[in-house]
Amino acid sequence: MKITDEENRIKAISIDNDGYPELLRVIENPPEVLYYIGDLGICSTLCLAVVGARKATPYGKWAAYNISKLTAEHGVTIISGMASGIDTCGHLGALAAGGSTIAVLGCGPDICYPRTNRELMNKIAQQGLILSEYPPGRGPHPGQFPVRNRIISALSYGVLVVEAGLSSGSLITAGHALNQGKEVFAVPGNINCIYSAGTNRLIRDGAMPVTAIDEIPELLGIRKIRPKEEEDSLLGEDEKVIYELVAVHGTVTLDRLCLLSGKQPAAVGALVTILEIKGRLQTTMGKIHVAKY
Amino acid sequence: MYSRILTGSIVGTDAEVVTVETDLSPGLPNVTIVGLPDISVREARERIRVALMNAGYRFPSKRITVNLSPADSKKEGTHFDLPIAMGVMAASGDISADEASRYAFIGELSLDGKINPVQGAIALAIGLRNRGTQKLILPSGNKQEVSMLRDIEIYPVEHIAEVEAHLSGFNPVAPYSGRPGKAPEGQPLDDGDFADVAGQEGVKRALQVAAAAAHNILMIGPPGAGKTMMARRLPGILPAMTYEECLEVTKIFSIAGQLQSEGGLITRRPFRSPHHTISPTALAGGGTKPRPGEVSLAHFGVLFLDEFPEFQRKALEVLRQPLEDEKITIARTSATVTYPAKIMLVAAMNPCPCGYLGHSTRKCICSEHQVLQYLSKISGPLADRIDMHVEIFPVPCEELLADTVNYKRMDSMQMRRTVEDARRIQIDRYSEEKISYNSQLTPPLIKKYCPLDGESKQLLKMAFETYKLTARSGQKIIKLARTIADLGKNDKISSEHIAEAIGYNRYFAMGNTYENHR
Repeated sequence: MKITDEENRIKAISIDNDGYPELLRVIENPPEVLYYIGDLGICSTLCLAVVGARKATPYGKWAAYNISKLTAEHGVTIISGMASGIDTCGHLGALAAGGSTIAVLGCGPDICYPRTNRELMNKIAQQGLILSEYPPGRGPHPGQFPVRNRIISALSYGVLVVEAGLSSGSLITAGHALNQGKEVFAVPGNINCIYSAGTNRLIRDGAMPVTAIDEIPELLGIRKIRPKEEEDSLLGEDEKVIYELVAVHGTVTLDRLCLLSGKQPAAVGALVTILEIKGRLQTTMGKIHVAKY
Repeated sequence: MYSRILTGSIVGTDAEVVTVETDLSPGLPNVTIVGLPDISVREARERIRVALMNAGYRFPSKRITVNLSPADSKKEGTHFDLPIAMGVMAASGDISADEASRYAFIGELSLDGKINPVQGAIALAIGLRNRGTQKLILPSGNKQEVSMLRDIEIYPVEHIAEVEAHLSGFNPVAPYSGRPGKAPEGQPLDDGDFADVAGQEGVKRALQVAAAAAHNILMIGPPGAGKTMMARRLPGILPAMTYEECLEVTKIFSIAGQLQSEGGLITRRPFRSPHHTISPTALAGGGTKPRPGEVSLAHFGVLFLDEFPEFQRKALEVLRQPLEDEKITIARTSATVTYPAKIMLVAAMNPCPCGYLGHSTRKCICSEHQVLQYLSKISGPLADRIDMHVEIFPVPCEELLADTVNYKRMDSMQMRRTVEDARRIQIDRYSEEKISYNSQLTPPLIKKYCPLDGESKQLLKMAFETYKLTARSGQKIIKLARTIADLGKNDKISSEHIAEAIGYNRYFAMGNTYENHR
């Protein structure tokens, strides 16, 4: 059975069809029919799931975006659930690297949820794959989201949990991954941060901690592509001082930077802005952190 | 049996001269007031009749016609009591009409003949003075506020008998002189000093930039970060008002009936912080009987709106005109009035409804939808009219307790001196133009006064790409850079100035999410 909708955009494939992803066929309760937009073939490439909380900190979003981007640059497909927060950053990172990405939805493949991700969804449909076990028209009902997580983990070689609270749905995905015999990676966070409590516990329970932004390809067994030489000569002396301070102290406030550098707020503000425009630092909600190592 | 007495009538914040014409003619005893009086003026006839009789004068049993000329403009206010009473007395010969014609009169009557203070006395006095009146008889309750006025003699009176004794020359009242024309001292710092604020040097710097050219500023940060504390300290670093500015502010407060009775001239820059439940009318001014609203009461001062997105949407949109034109026009069926509203808007808001979005130790309980809903209350056009957006982060405990800092903490006096210097530079630079501060620069003036060097242009171009700025944001950044350069007493705008200015403009430009930033 292979049906298509009127615009030939949304396609469906049943489990007894040849094109049905092998990885999915072998799990405990595979979906009978898959609805999808895009190229189903990328399911057979090497995939990494990047999952995490909807409500994420700048740190989590930064990690999700940059790890996904770096990994996608190595030809790995990034799978996620297109929820806001970490999921969105994962997809965006993959798209920014020009890589492919798969969004497994908890609603029909024609429905964009959350609605703010409309643009992202269109891009994924063009550059990757939108996948769902629910027929077109099915709304985003709660209960469907945890269930689709088994598809995310099934299709991927490993699951990377970037940020998760103790009750996060990402932990369900990690649980599925364990049951299906997949790798589980987790991004460690500060132990006083509620958003990292779940990932830190995963590490305690045996998940592989990600200790550097470019570690994943190596862990997946891919030879690292040499990163382009960063030209620090682009930075002026003062800029270097500020950048180093942020790199050493992690997330800081403008005040703290003034204290650390002994410079006036006006000067520090200007330097931070220049560094942000150069893509080296990033500011969110009054906090400054490193955008790129 | 006819008399003419001078008084005034308030139009917006100005006053026009009104002549009270009184005629006594034979006929059934009756008082008619014509010339578009409102109820408060029409009720005057009862007060006048009783007050004159209780004060021991006669009230002529004639047909009395009072015309308030020009007869085609609406008259309101109780200050017409005294001039109408004088008109009746002059027409009946109880006082000398010649003598009375040398004065203008304002005042409200009590039933025992006492003269009560009125609203808008200084506005009336200024309007009458500008139109040639040299002597004004007014309630002694208003003498303080009017005494600061130059070029007009004022005669404060308490009772109608005093007026009669003065005009007859029997017991003249001495003209009152307070301290006319005295330039105000600097603003006292009784609302606190910036030196009390631990940390937050970045925000203090931003507020100093804002103060230097009356840039509007929006502070975004979680509860307890110190938004209100710092906003309250802002008037302390603003330069003192000039004499003319003091008069203007006093006038508005007088018209709004908000002047303390013995207060005299207002010399402190107003700091108005209306609650977020305020109605659009109360903010803008208006009502069936138009009165200045909070935006006008904050004229030459600071309008502080805490919990900015919680204000009614209509109330916020009302702010657009004053932010653009420095005045507000209120059209009502009864009249169209324009009040001045040259304000520095200081707004404060949380990053999300619960307030803790992005907080490191407290959990934010808002959904993404709620956050977007909250932010969308600040419409794009409104956010675009606010020159500076500054994020505030709570000062960590160890910094609050730290008593050694390796840079100099700014205090209010020092900040004000720098602000005053920067303002002087601006006033000198714009002496040929109609503006006085950088925040008032228009696009052609930006071109003329804010030339950018190659490096600055390059930086601005990069910022446009990184933050996806609008053209208006670009203008704001250049204006801010001009102010920052002035604060440093630099003639030329350099790329550092531009960089700092960009930093005050990225919150909304970025959409404040990591996704949109990429």
